[in-house]
Amino acid sequence: MRNILFRRVLVLVLLVSMVAATLGTAAADEDWYSYTYNFWKDEVESPDTYAVTNTLFGTDFGEEVGHLNNPAGLFIIENHIFIVDTGNNRIVEVQKVDGEYQLVRVINHLQVSEELAEIMKIQGGAITLTLNGPEDVFVRVKTQESLVEDYGEYLGTLYDDPASHQEETPATDATTETGEASTEDAATATEDAATEDASTEDTASTEDTAEDSSSSGEDGEAVDENGSDESASTEEGGSADGSEDGSEDGAASDNGASAPAPVAWHENVVKQELNLEYDIFIADTQNHRVIHCDYNLNVIGVIDDPKDDTIDDNFVFLPSKIVADTANRLYVQATNVNSGLMEFDKVGAFISYCGANKVELTVSEKIWRRIQTKEQKDRSVQYVPTEYNNLSLDSKGFLYVTTSTLEDDDIWGGTATPVRKLNSMGSDILIRNGNFYPSGDLNWGTAGLVKGASAFVDVIAFNNDTYACLDRTRGRIFLYDFQGNMLCAFGNYGQYAGCFTYPNAMDNLGEECILVVDKYGSITEFTMTDYGRLINNALAEYKVGHYDASAEIWKQVLKYNGNYELAYVGIGRALLRQGEYKEAMKYFKSARDDVNYSKAFKHYREEVVEKYIGWFLGGLAILIILPKLVRKTKKLRKEINEA
Amino acid sequence: MKAISGIGRFFVGIPAYFKGESFKHYLKTLRYAFYVILHPFDGFWDLSHEKRGSLAAANTIVILALLTNLWDMRFTSFMFNNTRWNRVNIFEVIASILLPLAIWVAANWSLTTLMDGKGKLKDIYIATAYAFTPYVIIGMPMIVISNLITSEEGAFYTYFNTFALIWSVMLILAGMMMTHDYGLAKGLVSSLLSVVGMAIIIFILLLFFSLISDAIGYVVSLVKEITFRVS
Repeated sequence: MRNILFRRVLVLVLLVSMVAATLGTAAADEDWYSYTYNFWKDEVESPDTYAVTNTLFGTDFGEEVGHLNNPAGLFIIENHIFIVDTGNNRIVEVQKVDGEYQLVRVINHLQVSEELAEIMKIQGGAITLTLNGPEDVFVRVKTQESLVEDYGEYLGTLYDDPASHQEETPATDATTETGEASTEDAATATEDAATEDASTEDTASTEDTAEDSSSSGEDGEAVDENGSDESASTEEGGSADGSEDGSEDGAASDNGASAPAPVAWHENVVKQELNLEYDIFIADTQNHRVIHCDYNLNVIGVIDDPKDDTIDDNFVFLPSKIVADTANRLYVQATNVNSGLMEFDKVGAFISYCGANKVELTVSEKIWRRIQTKEQKDRSVQYVPTEYNNLSLDSKGFLYVTTSTLEDDDIWGGTATPVRKLNSMGSDILIRNGNFYPSGDLNWGTAGLVKGASAFVDVIAFNNDTYACLDRTRGRIFLYDFQGNMLCAFGNYGQYAGCFTYPNAMDNLGEECILVVDKYGSITEFTMTDYGRLINNALAEYKVGHYDASAEIWKQVLKYNGNYELAYVGIGRALLRQGEYKEAMKYFKSARDDVNYSKAFKHYREEVVEKYIGWFLGGLAILIILPKLVRKTKKLRKEINEA
Repeated sequence: MKAISGIGRFFVGIPAYFKGESFKHYLKTLRYAFYVILHPFDGFWDLSHEKRGSLAAANTIVILALLTNLWDMRFTSFMFNNTRWNRVNIFEVIASILLPLAIWVAANWSLTTLMDGKGKLKDIYIATAYAFTPYVIIGMPMIVISNLITSEEGAFYTYFNTFALIWSVMLILAGMMMTHDYGLAKGLVSSLLSVVGMAIIIFILLLFFSLISDAIGYVVSLVKEITFRVS
């Protein structure tokens, strides 16, 4: 009887456990637009921190712009937006004025003055450089010092008197001046156009088209047709030559004659608001060079063909992403370079690689490689350092870089660092104090073509040290604070507003606006919501040491989102500083923040011990003394009795 | 009426039981666990050969071990405790201790009968159960202590829990040696082989269950098909 019962119970337990095991925990694959990750790495729905406020296409900027073709880069300075329209070999400059996007101009060629051409050993003097597959642009405000410095030292050139440049007033002067330059140059250009094609090998990248044939964003044809290396050389004077060449810019050259100014301002531009003191760096990728020019598109220097012992002789320089820091160093992320970022000094000479990854083999890999024969080694996977794919500069001059060549397993395991912050020594100083490393999605499934880990392709750092990473895999943007906590993620793969199919780049327009450019030519504008602003303000208050004010804002955040762990930590921190240890513990426990909880608990424990130590010691004393006392009294009584 | 009187007699029996000889024996065998964990060789020898242990005490220790495990999940400070209660299946937790124990006992018995082991199934079970004692007597206080320490002092917590586990494993080894009257080498080998045996048993069980579920699935789909055709 007992045996049967026992057997039944055993079988029941077995069955239940088996069934339970098979049922398991089917993780809900929720698909919210905005979400955060909780302590358990579960996606938790979140209110939107950013909302889509606009979706723009090239045609929105006017007929002359037309559709964007695979725009690879985006750069925003003040209210100027530079869209690198790679497929059309141009850069479209747009301005946001009163909430409206207006075309400023289309940049597709740049001027090289005679003096500079001489120094660069370009025979035939002044020329025009056209862009070929540019992938990035970097613009910075020129300081008065850098202005003098640049013109004095860059490539050893002084192509223009810096003094006269400073006197320049915007637009009008600029056009006339460059116009003059072009007429001068025209003469020389006619000579060299025919003869120099072959002889300019050392500057193979710099094709010499007659400078003015190019001109103006207004003649759309020229914009589109320009650019291939072969289609060089037609100039307004020798139009006969031009037609013989059979190049498509015949029409453009006519236009050029009538409007010789290389910069044609769009009528919309609010001229007086333009700051001409910009430095523009253009990664002219397919021409293997980085061009440095001023805002009027006069070339200051060209960086191409870096020479160094560490660089292979047949290395092909394909600058993809560029950044110039305040010390005038230029950082270039070049395609197919996995030794880190290429660093150039202010005269355009290659200094070194910067921020290279270390390759670390695991023990088993080391042993395995020792056993392998040479042939096997050659055929096995090469252990190469990861290649960066983008970089950006924060307000304090630190570089943020992203890479997407990491193993999915590493990201899943939480040890990958696809986004890094590099100091001037090139070492990673990104703070990763969150529950997990900033690496995009923490868990993911496969849905059709969308599979694998997040692939960061761009990063922007805001003034308060929060940063946003753009994930190409799922078209998402991840926001992280200065401690590495994830603030929010939003976006998705798709065709509707706020989703991307192949996001290429993003940048911030001011502190509250993010623009993302997709391969298919759309530009999505996100604007911070009230909720996002609250989080931002709370972080800002905390950073400057206003902990109580920060906690007040976090309380408001909790009204929007009761699942926001950071808010609990924020409030807990304020309570901890106020000495409300028990309350603080409660908040830290809600967020499962064991470090802060321990801090609060330590104080709380002290408090409790201090409070009750008297009672405790008293009790102990009584426990020790009482038996003795009892014994003594007994003894005494005994003695008395005996006596 | 008969049932009621039965229940009545049962309750009347309770105080009598606690005063009875068998209860005293139970307490004595339970108390003997403390002797066993401190003098493993001597203790385990007497446990099986001198009948100083009892099945009731062994069951008690196993239940206490289960409780330790559950309370550890429930009451340990969150700093050292990553239990997600919305994903916990209590039967699974219980089975995750009871099943390996049962399989261990079965595997060990199957093996040692072939290796001249002196222990019976019951002896193996009792010895294994008694070896859980350190896990209980260290684990239980650590649950309380975990709530009194900070995360920096967590090393202390981890150290004691690891210590308890190692102690328990050593005790199982000593228990097997004494129960089966083995030397150290044979004890080690038989224990290791028992672990292999456990893996084989689990494999066969899984195979069995998957075949059964396939068979059930077949019948279910057959029935569905027929009902679909009929209606």
